[in-house]
Amino acid sequence: MRPLEPPRPSRLQRLWLSETIRLREEYAGPLEDSEIIRHTQAQGGALGERIQTRAWLLGERDGQVQALQHWLQGARLAGLLLVLLAILSGSGLAVAALGDGLRPVNVFWALGSLLGLNLILLLGWALGLLLSRDGAGVLGHLWLWLSAKLARDAQAAQLAPALLLMLQRQRLSRWGLGALVHGFWLLTLLTALLTLLALLATRRYGFVWESTLLGGDSFIALTQALGSLPALLGFSLPDAELIRASGDSALANESARLSWAGWLAGVLVVYGLLPRLGLLLFCLWRWRRGCAALSLDLNLPGYSLLRERLQPSSERLGVCDAAPTHLHQPLAGHNAFDSQGALLVAVELDPQRSWPPALPNSISNAGVIDSREQRKQLLDQLSRFPPARLLIACDPRRSPDRGSLALLGELARSATATRIWLLPPPPGEALDSARLGDWHRALEQLQLVHSDSAPFSWLEHGHD
Amino acid sequence: MTKPLKLAVVGHTNVGKTSLLRTLTRDVGFGEVSHRPSTTRHVEGARLSVDGEALLELYDTPGLEDAIALLDYLERLDRPGERLDGPARLSRFLDGSEARQRFEQEAKVLRQLLASDAGLYVIDAREPVLAKYRDELAVLSMCGRPLLPVLNFVSSSQHREQEWREALARLGLHALVCFDSVAPPLDGERRLYDSLALLLEKARPQLQRLIDDHQAQRQLRRSSGARLIAELLLDCAAYRRSVAAQSTLEQGAIRDLHQSIRQREQRSVEALLRLYAFRQDDAKAGDLPLLDGRWGDDLFNPETLKQLGVKVGGGMAAGAATGVGVDLLVGGITLGAAAALGALIGGSAQTLRSYGERLKGKLKGQRELSVDDAVLRLLALRQQRLLHALEARGHAAVDAITLLTPQDASWPEGKLPDALHKARAHPEWSSLNPAAQLQQSERELQLNALASALLKVD
Repeated sequence: MRPLEPPRPSRLQRLWLSETIRLREEYAGPLEDSEIIRHTQAQGGALGERIQTRAWLLGERDGQVQALQHWLQGARLAGLLLVLLAILSGSGLAVAALGDGLRPVNVFWALGSLLGLNLILLLGWALGLLLSRDGAGVLGHLWLWLSAKLARDAQAAQLAPALLLMLQRQRLSRWGLGALVHGFWLLTLLTALLTLLALLATRRYGFVWESTLLGGDSFIALTQALGSLPALLGFSLPDAELIRASGDSALANESARLSWAGWLAGVLVVYGLLPRLGLLLFCLWRWRRGCAALSLDLNLPGYSLLRERLQPSSERLGVCDAAPTHLHQPLAGHNAFDSQGALLVAVELDPQRSWPPALPNSISNAGVIDSREQRKQLLDQLSRFPPARLLIACDPRRSPDRGSLALLGELARSATATRIWLLPPPPGEALDSARLGDWHRALEQLQLVHSDSAPFSWLEHGHD
Repeated sequence: MTKPLKLAVVGHTNVGKTSLLRTLTRDVGFGEVSHRPSTTRHVEGARLSVDGEALLELYDTPGLEDAIALLDYLERLDRPGERLDGPARLSRFLDGSEARQRFEQEAKVLRQLLASDAGLYVIDAREPVLAKYRDELAVLSMCGRPLLPVLNFVSSSQHREQEWREALARLGLHALVCFDSVAPPLDGERRLYDSLALLLEKARPQLQRLIDDHQAQRQLRRSSGARLIAELLLDCAAYRRSVAAQSTLEQGAIRDLHQSIRQREQRSVEALLRLYAFRQDDAKAGDLPLLDGRWGDDLFNPETLKQLGVKVGGGMAAGAATGVGVDLLVGGITLGAAAALGALIGGSAQTLRSYGERLKGKLKGQRELSVDDAVLRLLALRQQRLLHALEARGHAAVDAITLLTPQDASWPEGKLPDALHKARAHPEWSSLNPAAQLQQSERELQLNALASALLKVD
């Protein structure tokens, strides 16, 4: 392994890039990829794997991989900024909640500023999850719009839409965004808790509650209701007397301060930190599960077209037994020695055709020859009694193959003059003109006279 | 890894051996096909694979042309007092000089069949059963390889399937497959491979894989095809042009509209041809009836209004959903509210803006042209017919398909799918419109719905 080899791209990145390349090809036409296809085929693997490899190689060539890395860098930077912001705002929250220590801390004001915004937004998130159909949401659209404005070159323009499209297929964007939001809040609240503890540890705060409308009993009930859950976890719960006493002025005794501080931290942990932690874990779980289920939708036309090129279901193997330079050519000829009479013979006729036609008496009929035995018999007979004129009837619907032409040649060699009669088609059928042309060509090569009507007068008298 | 099964495609000249190979390999450019006898004079192979594993090798061979003479010659090869079996006789023939002269082509065929696991004997079913074909089979059977007769051109009206069946049965060949290479039956390949599996029992697993893969590929091509058609229909339904209400301008705009729809249909035809691995000129979209164009009633289309409401409402929900706009500014509540409001407006601003522009056009006396419902129906019908035709078309076919307007009068009626009504209200869904937004998840949803509706119709 080379020392500087870039880290292997994650599965998500490879899928993302494949989708990007697909969109790019959909809008800008197919990319030139013959070299890359060869590389991809050499690597093997299942079709999805091959599509991803091809996309990655294309992306490396055309710059989408760099664009993707830039994007990831940007995302990491933004994440870092978000972490910083969370830390700052978390500590800010705690400081704002406790104040400077000169005045006593109003417990419910402190609680409200620590948890209020968090709870409102949590509720909003939950409502949005239930109500919104659009997986990408406003943030997604905002990002899409922004990246379209910022993408200066066409190479990277499809990155953002591709990611959204891919995530939407498994409805992943909500879980991804959810994880982000909950992570952000978890960190904020954690910082707030730590700052709170640090402040409480190093400063002396007195706790009061104030109200114009509500009586002490309501406060006692509220405080104890809120504190009962944290108390199960071991956080302190101020008793009724203490709460009632804190209504008048901040108590100076140590146990009261300790008790209130423990209550405040407990409420923050149980109603702020733990829900966000739980939701973060849930969103992460859904995200992981969705990511594992992510795959290329091979039904898409873009990928169907790639299938034949990346994993051809059929390929040519080439010629394994080459064509000869020339084919064996049958020859015709004629027999000049004492021949007499006229003979009509038909070759390879359709048994459904009626044969022979009505013939003058001077013409003898040799019937239809088809099989080897018939051929042999006729040729034997012709060599003993060669005819002066031989008319061979052929059906031009057959293909003029070498075997038939060789037979015609052999028959012609045993007669003094030979003509070929290319039979007309049976009623209701037409001859294939291309095939008729083949017959004409083949017969001309054999130097045999042919006609498409019966030359009976030639056969009978020797002239037309 | 199993060794691929080797098949030699043999037969008389001009019966469509190369055509059969083209159809089985779905490769329109394989070999050379013509009406002339002995077009193929070499042996050429093709390989069928599933998931990258080679399962079947098919070899195209020259046509047998002189079988009667060859059989005669072969029978004279026995020396006095010996009785050769088929393969021994063939090997003596192949070593001799006639195998390089008069019977050179036949020798190629026999060599290839001897090197293969089985042979597909292609028959032109329009031909009468002549003695030369019987002699061909006699010569081929000397190779000692199973032969599966394949009747080609069975969709012709003059085919003689029954005669051939009887003749083949007399020669002891009882399994036989009808497979027209120009118009193969939908399950033709399955039947062919099934019959082969009967002859070659040990090759059954790989043949079964081939059959299953063909089935899966056909499904895949169909759904891809339906999606291509859905994209065409959505593009056309959402397409619109704005034009000042003057009759000469309107005429020009209608012609433009007509032209773009035709080109878009041709693009879809080409994509379907690519999908089914046919040549680009194997099908042409015929003329579309001239469109009247629909007038700008889409502005008050219920879907448009609904979209307006849903978008604004959805924007709010989504604004609250992400909560991030506010989340970012934990310190100041007012600032956070402002950011939330900003996100909310951002979400629906685009919708409002596009609607506003259209309203403005309306007030300025402009008209909006869009594609008539009847034309959408026609496009859907024609493309579906093309899809069917391509499914049933063999890769040996050479005649081009033309998409015509159907003659029966019922096509302009009927209900359009919901997705197309929705698309009417979303000009940004059409790739024909400027500023198209093709990645919208709603568009994706409607595309999928439309594609599956198209598949269900068949």
